[in-house]
Formats: sequence, structure tokens, C-alpha cells
Amino acid sequence: MISVGIDVGSISAKAAMMKDGELIGSKVMLTGYNARNAGERIFLDLLAGLDVQRDAVGRIVATGYGRNSVEVADKAVTEITCHAAGAHFQDPAVRCVIDIGGQDSKVIAMDTTGRVTDFAMNDKCAAGTGRFLEVMARALEVDLDAFGEMSLQADQPAAISSLCTVFAESEVISLIARGERRENIIAGIHESIGSRVIAMANRVGITEPVMMTGGVAKNIGVVRALEKKSGKSIRVSANAQVNGAIGAALIAAGIA
Amino acid sequence: MEAIERFKEICADPKAYARRWKEKTGGKVIGTLCSYAPEELILAGGALAFRIVGGSGGISRADAHLQTYSCSLVRGALDDALNGEFDFLDGAIFPHTCDSIQRLSDIWRMNAQTGFHLDVVLPVKLNTTSARDYMTAVMRKAGTELESVLGKTITDDDLHKAIGIYNGIRSAMQRLYIIRQDRPGGIAGSDVHAIVRASMVMDRNDFLNRLTRLVDTLERQSEPESVDNKRIFLSGGVCNLPDVYGIIESAGGTVVGDDLCTGSRGLTGLVDTDGDPLDAIAGRYARRAICPAKHAGITSRGDDLVRMVRTTRAQGVIILFLKFCDPHAFDYPYLKSMLDAEGIPSLLVELEEQTASQGQFRTRCEAFMEML
Repeated sequence: MISVGIDVGSISAKAAMMKDGELIGSKVMLTGYNARNAGERIFLDLLAGLDVQRDAVGRIVATGYGRNSVEVADKAVTEITCHAAGAHFQDPAVRCVIDIGGQDSKVIAMDTTGRVTDFAMNDKCAAGTGRFLEVMARALEVDLDAFGEMSLQADQPAAISSLCTVFAESEVISLIARGERRENIIAGIHESIGSRVIAMANRVGITEPVMMTGGVAKNIGVVRALEKKSGKSIRVSANAQVNGAIGAALIAAGIA
Repeated sequence: MEAIERFKEICADPKAYARRWKEKTGGKVIGTLCSYAPEELILAGGALAFRIVGGSGGISRADAHLQTYSCSLVRGALDDALNGEFDFLDGAIFPHTCDSIQRLSDIWRMNAQTGFHLDVVLPVKLNTTSARDYMTAVMRKAGTELESVLGKTITDDDLHKAIGIYNGIRSAMQRLYIIRQDRPGGIAGSDVHAIVRASMVMDRNDFLNRLTRLVDTLERQSEPESVDNKRIFLSGGVCNLPDVYGIIESAGGTVVGDDLCTGSRGLTGLVDTDGDPLDAIAGRYARRAICPAKHAGITSRGDDLVRMVRTTRAQGVIILFLKFCDPHAFDYPYLKSMLDAEGIPSLLVELEEQTASQGQFRTRCEAFMEML
């Protein structure tokens, strides 16, 4: 049976298609203003890209903050349950998922069957999320995709004390004015995210193995900072950004 | 149901109710800031106790007096006071509970125009003999002060009558909580919330009569259709957002009990009816469910929470408190570890008093129900 998971996040929409327990394709695009539209569009894009007919799809589960406005979906399931399902599918040993997305970050504790046992999410503030990194990339005039590699070239990560995105941005601007190396500033930004997310993770408790999912997992600098702050090694999902959509597709198929 | 509609109306605009009450009766209205205000004494003095649980909207004037990391209840209440929204009050009573309420009292006294101002300095430790004696003295002092500001002698007979009404309210509320626990779906969470809010502002005799009729009717009703919702216990402080209950219900949960300040906490325990009435009122304060700003044993709140979760057969606990509420935040880690040790799943949600971040709250609740 073919099932589809659609994850409408705050910044990007993701879709994944599963067939008989195998991932056969995925798609990522910007969500834009109209979340309802985004779910439909990415679904059609996914079908077109994989050359699959609409009728061939069995069940569809939507997740992400726009989950309740995806009309093509049969059901909506929260991103917490979906990320746990996706991570468990990719690595059944995983007991803790750290997901950092566009505007929220979450830590999920799960048992060996992939069932969620506890979770924590950030509050309404954007600090420690993908949006925070986007704001910083703009201030530093660096392409966000280069952040990870550049931060690994730091010799002395800059100290960024503020937990607020707006205040942290002004701290970064002061560092730029002082002539601090970009690499050090970027590494400092990653460490500030690391501190914030690990503080939240400690509330839930971190049991290894830990997997990182979500779009920000593509940034190796953040992964290293999380490892440094937690003292634990972190696996990165091979399909980090579409992990929630994969989990949704698994739930749609009745596998998770 | 007609009675519930009346309670909802009052809950939606408690200030309008108090203004009308005052117009009609010519009586005095006293603002109270916490469930430790000596309500029996206020009633015995012929006045209406009006509980203030926060503000009515945005905060602009209060921030000139309070740091922004005070809770939204304290900031909101002060903002309303500074905006003249409590013009119907003849006075205000500030029990000494958390630091923020205590300091609010000073700022209020100097800046708000709400008539007379009384502080009730309660002991922090409630489970000692000296605290018990001290509490009785505090009640006696509060009684004398009220007599003076209300211009009325409060007799033992007045006190016994007031105790009778409050005992009646607390007994009826306990019956309501049993219905909630035994027949989930028999009464909506938002309805219980409206009833509790009405109990804090309404003419207490009128409230008791309406509540008793309502509970009688509910007890006679047949079993509601069994719903497949998760049984949820709410723990925490002040929650004045009726939407919270709707969101929990639409996420697949039914509230079967609570220990909230806007819930069962102020409604627990009866006052002894024999002996000296002031001593008896003080005695109830020493026994009732405590607020985290008070002390009655190292793990008393945790023990009570676990016991109530077991009694109500709740499958999970949602802990709600206002952002920047220090007493609740300090208690949270130990409450969570006690729940964890008992294998009871819990979810922490910090709220602002007026502006619920609905999308995030909904996601957390839905994920919690999926987890259960």
C-alpha cells in the first residue's frame, strides 16, 4: 500500500511517500503565507515527481503546525508523535529525539517500541530555532547552508549571552562591529542554541542513543554544539528535514 | 441549563455583576487577591468578596510599577486598578501568600483608588501549633479591622451564618467534583470553570441556592454516553482561560479533577461548626489544600496530587501555571519527579493570564493525548 505524510511547518512544507514499508520519495518546499494551499501543492508535487496517480495513494496523514488545514489528509497527528515514529523507523534503537524546526524546538523521549513517553517544546519565543539562524545569517551576510562548515573553523567561539533572538542579533552586530571573525560568531550562535535546547532536554532527561531531526539537523555546527553541551553523541537522521513527514506516512500506513 | 448560563454570564463579566449587586443592595464590595482571603469574615460583615484573578486585557500602566517578569495576574490586576476598572470596590484585602502579591499590596495601596486597604499576614508554615494560634489571632485582627472599615459589628451569630453558607458551598462543590470524577462528560470542564469563577464573585447565598439546585439536577441525570476521551487531572495555579478546557476536550481529554486555585483548592475542607467561630475558621485554613506559597510538610502538595490522581483515576496530569509564577515553578521539579516515580505521565504548560498561545497549547495537548 502507498501512504503519504504531509508535514506543513512554519517555514517549509515537507511530504514523504512510503510503499510497503519503504520510503520511495520526498519533497520539500517553502510553506509561504497559505498553509492550506501548501499541503495541497506539496502533495501534488510529490505525486508528479514520482509519477504516482492520486488514486494509487491509500491513506494520508498531515502533521506540523498547519496539520489541521490540509484538506487532502485523512487524519492529523501532531509532529511530536510523527517525529518519534520517523526516528524509530530509521533507527529503532533511538530513545531520544531532538527536533529543531523553523519556529520550534522539541525534545522527545521514547521507549524501545517508538512510543512517546515524555516531551518538551520551546515556548513562543524563536530563540534556538531555525528562524533564529535565518535572522543571524542575514546579519552576518552568510548563506545559511555555509553555517555548519564555517563554525567548524572557529578557534574561539564568541560568547552570546542573550536567549532572545532580537537581543542576540544586536549582540551579534556588536561582535561584527568589534571585528570578531565570522566563524567564531557563528560557532557562538550554535553554542547558544545548544545551551538552550539541552536545558530543555534535561527537563525530559536524555537517554542515548539520541537522534537529531528537523531542518536544522542539516547544520553540523548545531549538532556538534548539542553534543558538546550534552556530553552525548548525536546521530543525525539521514532524512532529517522530512523525518516528520516520514513518521506521518508510517502512521498513515498503520506501521507506527 | 439555566443555572449554568447564569454562572457563565457572571464568569464572562464579573465586574458588571458586582456593579449591579452594589446598585441593587447598596452593600459594600471588597476585592480579594487570593484564596486565603478570610471570605467568611467578609460575608459576616455583610459585604461581597470579589476575587480578582487578573486583568482584562493588555498591560500598559502597570509596567511603570512592576518588572515585566512578574506574573500576568499581578500585572493585569494592577493595570485594571490603575485604569479605574475597580471603581465599584469599597476596599481590597491582600493576604500574604506569594512575594508578588505581597509587593503588589504596597504598590496598590500607594497608587490604586479602591477604598480601604487591608493586609492579612498569614503564617507560611501551617502545620505547627504556634501557626495555629497565630492564625486565630490573624483572623481576630482581620475581623476587628473589617468591623471598623465596614462600620458594622460582626457578631458570633453573623459568623455562624457565614460559616453555614460557605460550608454549604464547599459541600455542594464537592458533590459537583464527584459527578465530574464518576461521570466524565456529565459536565463540561468550561462549565465547572464558570461555576468556580461565579463562586468567587457572586452573592454567596444566591450562589449556594443556584449551585445546590444545579447539583441536584445533575445527580438525577442519567449516565452520559461513554466517550473515549483520556481522563485528565489539572494541577497548578490560576487558570482564567475558559478556552483551555475546550482545547483539552477537542484534543481528546476530559478533565476529571483539579487542584487549581481557580478550581477545587479554595473549596476544600469544612469549617467546624462548634466552638469559637474565628478559631474554627482559622482551623480550616490550617487543614485545607495548600497553595505552593504555603508550607504543610515537605511533600504535602505532591502527596495530595498523587492521591487525587489515583482517586480520580486520571491517566495523565496537565500542570498549568502562569509564566513567572515562582512558587509553582519551584514546586514543579519535585511534583514531576513524584509523578514520574508513580508512572503518571504529565505535561507542563506555562500560560499567560490573558493571551493563550492557542496553537502551541493545542499541539501540546494533542501530543499528550496521543502519548497516553
